[in-house]
Amino acid sequence: MSAPGTNRVLSALSPRDTDDPSPQQVQLAEIDDSCRGSVLLFFISGMVWLLIGTVFAIVASYKLHAPDFLGDYASLTFGRIRTAHLNAVIYGFSAEIAVGVILWLMCRLCRVPLMAQSVINSAAVLWNIGLLLGIGGVLAGDTTGVEYLEMPKYSTPILFLAFALIAVWTIVIFRFRREKHLYVSQWYILAAVLWFPWLYSTAQLLLVMDPARGAVQAAVNWWFAHNVLGLWFTPIGLASIYYVLPKVIGRPIHSYYLSVLGFWSLALFYNWNGFHHLVGGPFPAWMITISIVASVMMVIPVVSTAINHHFTMIGHFGKLKHSPTLRFIVFGAMSYTVSSLQGVLSSVRWFSETAHFTHHTVAHAHWGMYAFFTMTMFGAMYYILPRITQREWPSERLISLHFWCTAVGIILYVAPLSWGGWLQGKAMLDPKIPFLEVVKITLPYLKLRTVTGLLMAVGHVAFFANMIWLLVRTFGPYQQPQPMILAGVRTEPAPVGK
Amino acid sequence: MGIITFILIGSSVAFPAVALYALWWAGREGQLRHQDRAALLPFDEQEPVGKMTDVVLNRPRPYATSSPAKP
Repeated sequence: MSAPGTNRVLSALSPRDTDDPSPQQVQLAEIDDSCRGSVLLFFISGMVWLLIGTVFAIVASYKLHAPDFLGDYASLTFGRIRTAHLNAVIYGFSAEIAVGVILWLMCRLCRVPLMAQSVINSAAVLWNIGLLLGIGGVLAGDTTGVEYLEMPKYSTPILFLAFALIAVWTIVIFRFRREKHLYVSQWYILAAVLWFPWLYSTAQLLLVMDPARGAVQAAVNWWFAHNVLGLWFTPIGLASIYYVLPKVIGRPIHSYYLSVLGFWSLALFYNWNGFHHLVGGPFPAWMITISIVASVMMVIPVVSTAINHHFTMIGHFGKLKHSPTLRFIVFGAMSYTVSSLQGVLSSVRWFSETAHFTHHTVAHAHWGMYAFFTMTMFGAMYYILPRITQREWPSERLISLHFWCTAVGIILYVAPLSWGGWLQGKAMLDPKIPFLEVVKITLPYLKLRTVTGLLMAVGHVAFFANMIWLLVRTFGPYQQPQPMILAGVRTEPAPVGK
Repeated sequence: MGIITFILIGSSVAFPAVALYALWWAGREGQLRHQDRAALLPFDEQEPVGKMTDVVLNRPRPYATSSPAKP
């Protein structure tokens, strides 16, 4: 059920009454119901992109230790398929799931139903058209060659337009809010929807539309590539954790002050981090140094966030047994701390001189994008989907299979590969070791990478099957007649956070 | 290059300005105060503090699902 007039785009552009004295009058079920179509559109298409991206990933990974595999097909050569994987999981899976999550979170925290869903649905369709053109172009060999911006020129305006609609609509939802005070998740979301268009448009202008020359290209590229993780995906991951973690366990966040400190310090320091990937490059020393300093300063938001999450969970770890959401969210939160501190270490000159240009960087990227962000998004989806469909998850076994395959898979992926990358870096710095020997050193780690990729693929298929089963129960002919148990269990009242 | 330079310089000024405005607005509106209340914002009468809201696996006995009721 939607609020009166919510289907009109124009009526949605101006708040009816943001001074509503009874902010809780809107039932949560009404908000969840209004989000159903749009959020499902993003979730389903995002999951399809995840499966496609996973196939690309396994093929690309296998090629690293069996280079002749599918070598006769130009579209499936390593340079294309690895790029297609990256774009499918970044702009397909991660971005689409992120948008679904932020729409639901914003509506819930603003206590308003989603208005004029047709705008958001149009954005979803546009985004997927842009992706089909872009990733199809990549597989056809039509890439820009710029890391994280490989999709050809003709797809990017469509993607930008789609995201602009999403960003504007997120702000429109915010304008309609019935709760005046902002929760920290809203800070993160609003910042993310403003940061991403800025990053994307600036990088497109300077690297694709009218490319800068020489070393400046590398500087802009790393500014974009690093910030798209830190200023787009990270805020959305943290926004989800800050909302879902307290909700699941029924306890407010340990220290709201620390959460605000974490947000503003991330906003202040993260933007400077990208240049630490250019250690040793032809750049002014101050440029690299200031980036390393800002990277080390990232300890402030990371540690304050880690303390906050951990102290919120103390006394509630037993609930991991019952909540799939909590399992994924806690895994993601712990991975945020580990991957961020690993990032701080990787920014330091002596470490970077060995680890850079090796598989260590690949492992670090997967720590952040998969162990932190993807696992957090899985957790958020486990929480959101039953609410917007009003149905239970059909299979506990598939949930457990999903969790253990992805959790074990990513740990066995990143930990050995980080070490293998370090050994690779050490060997590359030794002039006595021929390059072919360096490649041989990495082989066991690359083979393990393929095996763990397959393990994660099993988890993805299990989750997708469970999700489709849930949707069949919701919309199919044999609908589950009894509404899901959302009542949960009562626990002792917890003290309010400081 | 002229238009692009203009856009880039403009956005480089505009975005930090928006961030500063957001911080100023937050201070003016009291968003940086009343932090005990802010921590409670995800909760309401329907999902209050003290209520676990995601019990799917290994359900405690009183909440274990029985076979679905017939319509």
